[in-house]
Amino acid sequence: MKPRVAILLAVLAAFCFAGLESKVTEYDLANGLDVIIYVDSSAPVVSTTVFYQVGAYDEPTGKTGISHMLEHMTFKHTDRYKPGQFARIVRAAGGEENGFTATYYTGFYETFAKDRWELSLELEAARMSSCRFEDDVFQPERKVVTEEWRLGENRPTSKLWKVYEATAYIAHPLGVPVIGWKHDIDNYTCEAVADWYHLHYNPANAVLVIAGDVRPEEVKARVKKHFGRLKGKPVKRADFYDLEPPQQSERSIILHRNTQAPAMLIGYHVPGIRNKEFYTAEVLEAILVQGRTSRLYQALVTRTGLATWVGGGDYTTRDPGLFTIYITPKSEKDIPEISQVIEQELTKLKTELVTDHEFAKVQNQVLAQDVFDQDDISDMAYFLARCQITAGSWRFLEQYPDQIRKVTKAQVQEFCRHYFKTDNRTTALLLPKKEEK
Amino acid sequence: MKKRLMFSIVTIALLIGQISAVPLFRDSLSNGFVVLTYEDHRLPVVDIRFVCRSGAAYDPRFKSGLANLTAKMLLRGTENMKGDSVADILEFLGTKHSAGADHDYSYLDIKTLSRSMDQVLDILSDAVLNPAFRPEAFSREQAKALTAAQRGYDNPRLVVMTEFDRLLFGNHPYASEPWGDTATLRKLKPEDSKTFYQTCYLPNNSFIIIVGDTKHKDILKSIRNRFSKWRPGTIKKLHVPEIAYPKTMRVKLITRPDFSQTCIMLGHPGISISDPQMLSTRLMSFILGGSALGSRLGQAVREKAGLAYDVRCWFDRRAFMGAYRATVQTVNPKPAIEKMLAEIRRMHSSGPTEKELEAACNYYTGSFPLRYSSSNGKLYQITRLELYNLGTDWLDTFPDKINALTLSDLKTSAREHLHPGKYLIVIVGNITRNDLDLPDAEWIN
Repeated sequence: MKPRVAILLAVLAAFCFAGLESKVTEYDLANGLDVIIYVDSSAPVVSTTVFYQVGAYDEPTGKTGISHMLEHMTFKHTDRYKPGQFARIVRAAGGEENGFTATYYTGFYETFAKDRWELSLELEAARMSSCRFEDDVFQPERKVVTEEWRLGENRPTSKLWKVYEATAYIAHPLGVPVIGWKHDIDNYTCEAVADWYHLHYNPANAVLVIAGDVRPEEVKARVKKHFGRLKGKPVKRADFYDLEPPQQSERSIILHRNTQAPAMLIGYHVPGIRNKEFYTAEVLEAILVQGRTSRLYQALVTRTGLATWVGGGDYTTRDPGLFTIYITPKSEKDIPEISQVIEQELTKLKTELVTDHEFAKVQNQVLAQDVFDQDDISDMAYFLARCQITAGSWRFLEQYPDQIRKVTKAQVQEFCRHYFKTDNRTTALLLPKKEEK
Repeated sequence: MKKRLMFSIVTIALLIGQISAVPLFRDSLSNGFVVLTYEDHRLPVVDIRFVCRSGAAYDPRFKSGLANLTAKMLLRGTENMKGDSVADILEFLGTKHSAGADHDYSYLDIKTLSRSMDQVLDILSDAVLNPAFRPEAFSREQAKALTAAQRGYDNPRLVVMTEFDRLLFGNHPYASEPWGDTATLRKLKPEDSKTFYQTCYLPNNSFIIIVGDTKHKDILKSIRNRFSKWRPGTIKKLHVPEIAYPKTMRVKLITRPDFSQTCIMLGHPGISISDPQMLSTRLMSFILGGSALGSRLGQAVREKAGLAYDVRCWFDRRAFMGAYRATVQTVNPKPAIEKMLAEIRRMHSSGPTEKELEAACNYYTGSFPLRYSSSNGKLYQITRLELYNLGTDWLDTFPDKINALTLSDLKTSAREHLHPGKYLIVIVGNITRNDLDLPDAEWIN
C-alpha cells in the first residue's frame, strides 16, 4: 500500500493547463475590449464572464466599497432593462448568473445552455454601456449592502480576518475590506456611484471571456455585434505593487467576541506575483499548512492535540500578500504553546531541507488540481478572466505548473529564512469575551 | 403556455439528448450493494462516492453528531492501515476527499486522477469494510467536531435553524442537526461509532457512484472483487412520528446582544420527497422565494424595501416529511416578517400566475444541463435519484415532468402545503418582544 512515487507528467500533459493554448483564442476589439474564447465542447453549456479592472484597489479614502456598491447597482436599471429584470430574464432562460467584487476586479457571469448563450452578450453589453442611476433605486440598495456588511460583522471569524488585514497592512489597499467601511457605505451618493461607473465601465477596461461549446468565428461575429459599437476609454490604474513599506516590528491584535471557539491568524508579508518567490510560497503552502500530512497539522493536531484545525496558505493574488497560518486552538490556554510549536517548525524549515517525498507530493497535487479545475466551465471562464487581470495574461495558468516544478528545496529554505521573521509577523487572535470587572 | 412548450421541447430535447447519450449504468452485487457508473471521458478524472443510506436521522437519542463523526472516521485508519498512512497516500496522489453525513445519508467522497483509481479504490474499500475507530484518532476528530459545533453558536443562521428544528420536529429523527451539539458530542465514544457502523454500514444499505473516466464493466468487476464478501444484514427501521402543525403563530425569541442583525426562520411541516406533489410544490416555492433576486419574497423584502441582503424559502427534500422554511437576516425584523407573511398569504390564496409558471418551468428545464454538466453536479443528481428511488430514467424524464405541470397543480400545492397563520417562528438577535410587536404571537419560553 505504499504510494507510487512516479509523477504522472507525461501521460497527463495533454490534459493539464499546458495544453491550454490550443483551446484559447484571444483578440482585442478596436475599442480595446479584451476578448478570450475558450472552446470546450464536452457539455452543451456556455459561460460568459466580464471582468472590469476596478475593485477595492482603486478606491480613495472615504469611498471604500464603492466598487461593490456599483456592482449591486448594475443589476438594476439600464436603458434596456428595468430594475429586477436582469435576474428574471436569466432565470426564465434557465441560466445562472452572479456578480462579485474583489480587490483587483469586479466580475459578472452568466451560464446558459449553448443554444441561448448570446443572451449573455446582450445583458453584459447593456451593463457595460447604459446603466442608469436613480436615487429611489439607489437608497434601498444601499440598505441591502448595509445588511450584507452586517452579515460579515455578525460572524466572529469574518470579523477576525478584517481586523487581521487592517493590522497587517498600513498603506496598501489590501488592508481595506472589499465591502468597505461602514462610514463610507452610509455616505456615498448615487451621483458618486454613477461617476465611478462612467469612469471604469467601458470596453477598454474590461476582459470578456466566453467559455464552452462554441465556435470562435461565430463568437467573434456576435461579440462584434453587441460590443463593437461601444466606445472604449482606457483607464490608467495606479500601481501600488511596492506601496506597503517593509514591516519593521511585530504587530498583534486581539478581537474579543461572545464565542466559545478561539481562533488564531498568523501572517508574514511575502512577495507578489511579479517575483519568482511567489511560486516558492505556493510550494511551501502545500508543505506547511495544506492537508493532514502538512507539517503544522501534524505538529499541532496529530502529535500534540493543541489545535483541532490548521489551514491557511499564501494569500497573494497580485501585489505582495500575506502567507497566513490559520489555527483553531483546542483552548485559549494552549495559545502560547501553539506559538512555540509553530516557531519550532519554522526553525526546522530554515535549518533543514524539505524531503523528496514532500516535494513530489506538491507536484502531484498541482498537476491533479490543474486537471480538476477544468471540470466546470464557469470556473474556467473565471480563472481565465482573473489571470488576465491579476497576472497580465491567461497564460499564467499554462505556465504555473512549470514554475512550480522549477522551485528548489534550497529556495524553500531561503524563503523561510528571509520571510518568517518575528518583525515581519502579524498575529490576530479571536478570544472569548471576558466580563469587565 | 404555447411559448413554454415550444421552447422546452425543441431545445431541451436536443440538450438533454446529448446528456443522456452518455449512459448511466446501474447494477447490484448479490449482497445488495448497488453500483452506479456514469461514464464521462472528458478528463482523466474519476469521482467516487460511497453512500450509506443511514444519516443523522439514525443518530440515537442524545447522540446527535454520531453519523457525521462515524463517516469522518472511515478515513482515519483501518485494521490494516493507520490514519496517517491513509492521509499520506491520498494527499500524495493529489486526491480531494471528504466524508460526513446529511440527515438522510452518510458519504465518503474521493476525487482522483483516473490513473490512480485502483489505488484509491483499495483505500476506499478498506475504509468502508475495515474501519478501526482507534481512540486517539476518534478523540482528534471529536475535538474538531466540537469546535465546529461551538463555532455554530457564533453563526446566527445555524442558531436559528437548530432551534427551529428542535421545536418543529420534537422527537422526530430530523430534530437535531447532523453536526451535533457540544453536549452530545462530548459524550460520544469510539464504541458508539463502532455500533453505528455495525448496524448501518451494510451492503444492502449502501451504494457506490463512480463518475468519470472509466467503463462500467471494468468498474463493476473492480467493485465486485473488493465488496462481494461484505455480508448483508438486517436494516434497522426508523421510528418516524407525525410532525404536528402549529395551531397558531408560535414564536420563540432568543436574545443575543452580540448579534448586530436579527435572523429569522419561519415555517411549518412540509412534504416528503416521495409525495406526488413534490415537484409542483417545489416550483411554487421557487416562485415564492427561490432566490433573493427575482422571486416574490426577494422582490418585496430586498428589491423594493432594501430590508435584507438575502431572503428565501424552500421545502426540505428529504426521505420523510421535512419542513417548509422561509428565512431572512435583517436589522428591521418587524417589516421583513410582515412582508414575508403577506407574500406567503398571497401565494396561498391566489397561487402563481401563468407567466410565473412559464418562467419557472423554463428555469428548471433550461438550467438542468448546467447543473448536470460538472462531475459534482452528476454526483449530486445520481445520489438523489438512487437514495430517494426516483428511478434511473429521472435524468431523462425530469424536463418532461416539469413541463407537464399546470397552473392548477401549483395552485393546489400552494393551497395544500402553505399554511398561513400556523407558523413556528424562531427569531435570534439583539431584540425584545416589544420591538417585534407581533399581536397574534403565542410566545414560547
